[in-house]
Amino acid sequence: MAAAIEVAGVSKTFRIPHEQRTFLKEYFLHPFGRPSYERNEALKDVTFSVEAGEFFGVIGANGGGKSTLLRILAGIYVPDTGLVRVNGLLSPFIELGVGFDIELTARDNIRMNGTLAGLTKRQLEERFDDILAFSELERFVDQKLKNYSSGMLVRLAYSIAIQIPFDVLLLDEVLAVGDEAFQEKCFATFDRFKEEGKTVVFVSHALELMERFCDRCLLLQSGEVQVVGSPHEVADLYRERVLVS
Amino acid sequence: MNPPVRAKATSGVAYYLRVLRVVGAIDFKAKYTDAALGYVWSLVKPLAYFGVLWLVFAYLLRTANETEDFTLFLLIGILLFLFFIDAVSAMLPSIVEGGVTLRRLAFPPIMIPLSASVAIGITFCVNVLAFAVFAAIQRVEPRIEWLLVVPLLAELYLFTVGLGLLLSALYVRFRDIGQVWELAAQLLFFACAIFYPVGILPDWAQKVTFLNPFVQVMQDIRHVVLGGASGPNDLSAADVFSGAGGRLIPIAVVALVFVSALLFFRREGRYFAERL
Repeated sequence: MAAAIEVAGVSKTFRIPHEQRTFLKEYFLHPFGRPSYERNEALKDVTFSVEAGEFFGVIGANGGGKSTLLRILAGIYVPDTGLVRVNGLLSPFIELGVGFDIELTARDNIRMNGTLAGLTKRQLEERFDDILAFSELERFVDQKLKNYSSGMLVRLAYSIAIQIPFDVLLLDEVLAVGDEAFQEKCFATFDRFKEEGKTVVFVSHALELMERFCDRCLLLQSGEVQVVGSPHEVADLYRERVLVS
Repeated sequence: MNPPVRAKATSGVAYYLRVLRVVGAIDFKAKYTDAALGYVWSLVKPLAYFGVLWLVFAYLLRTANETEDFTLFLLIGILLFLFFIDAVSAMLPSIVEGGVTLRRLAFPPIMIPLSASVAIGITFCVNVLAFAVFAAIQRVEPRIEWLLVVPLLAELYLFTVGLGLLLSALYVRFRDIGQVWELAAQLLFFACAIFYPVGILPDWAQKVTFLNPFVQVMQDIRHVVLGGASGPNDLSAADVFSGAGGRLIPIAVVALVFVSALLFFRREGRYFAERL
């Protein structure tokens, strides 16, 4: 089995300035003063790989580095050190969705996101109706997204993300705000991806879903990989370490 | 199972053109959807400028007498200036405003400001059509030299995009850039010989103003379209910098701005998502 994702020695540190220095005045007032920074080591020497066709879970507390890891996999952040290799096309679903402009209608947002993600005009036409049908938002297609509820937004975002041709799908908390009907629909797509041999990286706080769908899981704590193993093993360890303490 | 090796879908000329067409058109449409008069507004702005300036300079102050065809002279200046200023002003905040998308999708960030420039470009094209109608009413005979306008507009577009990219990337770090540009745009309106002939400036000021490629392009387009009808003020960079080599000076400025903007944008662009 070939690896779909290889991550070797990846570290990422954010420098958070104590005072926001986004105004030129501060440079003129303190031309030589180094602003003081707080260093936030979001990821420390992270190494793991995901096999092609695997449903791979990432578990961890808030602020543990999960979203940073996903963004690095997606190519949105550049790692400070280390190597990331993704074999095949990747579709990200990060922070409750793709990049919506809430001042635009659903129609324009689908076209804009689909095109930015690399769909051709024909692909977009072919998939447009499927996106709407899956999200069940046909009636609202010409409404601006600012009038959508958060559940509707997530439905639309997920529908777009899975219509972009991918070999690797990144899913960050896709089930956090949707209703039960939508969850069931998502589960059906998860099963389909597994059958089709797609690779999925799945981030969720719902441990029972991890145990239900994932082949393997990774526990990320304070930016460090604690363990990679079977979902039961990792979920138990997480309950023990994080939920009890 | 080996994942199939597929080309990255977010690169290549076809991808760039597709994004510019789709996102540019959406941007353009979005600007006018909530307005009752819609696209009419894209025409109102240059006409309002024109009306006021014409009234002041052709009627009240009569400085327009120095130029034979002041109406067209003024219109050309206004159309070009509004494109230049509006495009840079739209590109400048575009990265910061497009942060939501940049933090969730992986695509070349340059697509955001470029699409913004395309949306303003569409407005410009609408205005040029209106100008053509106006010129036809004025019975201006089209001539073969008018084709020279195309490379001149291309030069202006490169300069505009270069400046816009540079400022949009700087704006991510320094929010003052918005204020600086707003002031600069107002000053440029008075400094760019839009509503007065450049010939009335002293020699040194002519040299300074022709360092701005916008002034060179505007003067050259006036020359091409009006065929020297702007009289003694039909000046080009060659006249001002005394010698045909002088034409190269503003072009060199364009090249410098454009190349340094691309390099700077490429360096900064890798970190936009985390700085927003």
